Amino acid sequence: MNRALGAFVLVVAVVAAHLATGGATAADVLAVVQGHPTGLDARLLWEYGLPRLLTAALTGSALGVAGYLLQSVLRNPLAAPELTAVNPGAVLGVLGGTVLGAVAADAAAGSLLAALVGGALGGGLSWALAAGGGPGRVVVAGLLGSAVLGGLTTMLLAYQPSRFGNVLRWLAGSVEGRVWDHLTVASWWIPLWLAVAWAASAAVGVLQGGDEHAASLGLPPRTGRAAVLAVALALTAGAAALAGAISFVGLVVPHAARWLARGEPRACVPVAALVGAAALTGADALAQAATHLLAAGHLGHRLGVPTGVVTALLGAAVLVAVVRRERPA
Amino acid sequence: MILQTRGLAFRHGERRVLTGIDLAVGAGELVALVGVNGSGKSTLLRLLAGLLAPEAGAVELDGVPLARLSRRRIARRVAVMHQTMPPVPGLTVRRLVRQGRYPTEGPLGMLRQHGHDARTDEAMELTGVAHLADRVLDTLSGGERQRVRLALALAQNADVLLLDEPTAHLDVRHQLEMLALVRDLRAARSLTVVTVLHELDHAARFTERVVALHRGAVHADGPPAEVITPGLLAEVFGVAGRVAMDDVHGTPHCVLDHPLDPDDAAAHATSS
Repeated sequence: MNRALGAFVLVVAVVAAHLATGGATAADVLAVVQGHPTGLDARLLWEYGLPRLLTAALTGSALGVAGYLLQSVLRNPLAAPELTAVNPGAVLGVLGGTVLGAVAADAAAGSLLAALVGGALGGGLSWALAAGGGPGRVVVAGLLGSAVLGGLTTMLLAYQPSRFGNVLRWLAGSVEGRVWDHLTVASWWIPLWLAVAWAASAAVGVLQGGDEHAASLGLPPRTGRAAVLAVALALTAGAAALAGAISFVGLVVPHAARWLARGEPRACVPVAALVGAAALTGADALAQAATHLLAAGHLGHRLGVPTGVVTALLGAAVLVAVVRRERPA
Repeated sequence: MILQTRGLAFRHGERRVLTGIDLAVGAGELVALVGVNGSGKSTLLRLLAGLLAPEAGAVELDGVPLARLSRRRIARRVAVMHQTMPPVPGLTVRRLVRQGRYPTEGPLGMLRQHGHDARTDEAMELTGVAHLADRVLDTLSGGERQRVRLALALAQNADVLLLDEPTAHLDVRHQLEMLALVRDLRAARSLTVVTVLHELDHAARFTERVVALHRGAVHADGPPAEVITPGLLAEVFGVAGRVAMDDVHGTPHCVLDHPLDPDDAAAHATSS
């Protein structure tokens, strides 16, 4: 009961913070809830504020659960979408698809497909570089693969700099400027794979125990791991297509989720989704607040602080604390 | 026969670990696998569980080759007690034992909880670890860990139990408790048990059949009184010793004298 109350308070707090830093008033929220967003501010809330809020929540939950799945089945606390080349691959996929003309810049389904292909190639590159060295080595190979894919992304940007005026912000990870059209696919895609991840919690728990443990309990480890990694890929691609390269959420949130869920396998996925959503929504509220501060200094009209910058700064600090806590005795 | 191997062979890299193993285990039998370190006991156990693929030959479960059965179907019939715990930080006894229900509930088991928690509790009760249910694995003693591993295997509700050195790292009292527990569970649940054991006296007292492995092949197979002989001690274990009958239990009891040098052991093998 206490935990449910805590979760409710957390959700209300981050939603309120996001709405407030976005400039919405209680009257605007009421007008939207009543279905009559007629005033300018209420229209802005409906057209931009709420899609941005939903984008942050969906992206955060997708990355939080993807990170939990990766850390569990690769049995490495430093596994995360951005460190296994999956997220950099998805970002490169979207950019590459746009350059080749296969994907329209704002097409939700096309971006998702390009992110899926890119993410799968990134994950595959990590696996190939690991050369069968086991799950632990995949993370080291993932860092290498992420660097390679990051280099290719930079090369694309240098090749056609004029074509990607706003893309740097997206590359840093941003939920700014998302409207309802961007959410047509992600609004069912991400919840669908979150549900699959939750339903597969037992398999994830068994895979955490190692290959022989899983095989003894009737789960072929390679097949099981591949299936769970595919779910993580689907979630990561959904997040990348929506908000670009948000970092650290997929790395840090799973640690908090495991701690909050007290290791209960049925609770880990829902808690990772909730904490991920709250973390990215909270980070975006901070980004909005920082943007307002910069606006006061006459920079804000041109520079909205990307959410990814906030997650990177906060995530790095949290990660240092996590690594220190989990250091073997 | 519930478990049968035909011409089973296994190679680890260049090293031939097992060769030409023909073994038939009947329903309800309690069989001990004995032999020196590296003789292939644990490898044979893994082959019987289908965790390793043989280089040649086959393992059959009720006449069906394991290669033709899915991992999940095998795990519903055959449970393995390994020597090590899954290395998952913060995992509690209850959550580990609960994983024993995985072969029955399947990958989407979160959707069907009914009955599985009761089986988990029953397995913990049977092995005397119910009071440890909420303890984290890292905090358990060696004896407690062994019983938790056995509880995990029992939670699978399989009718074949394969135990890999269930008495390893236990003191004398806990060794006897563990083996008595296995013997009682076998009787109470009509289990078929194949267990790797290092202590010949334990094999003699707690099992009805001893299979001695030597250099990757079956050296002897039969009732303890026929298999455990001074010849076995010399040829398989390289030890000079005598075998007396224990008047209380009516089972063979080994009195070990000294290690034989390799030439003597080889000569003994040749002469016998």
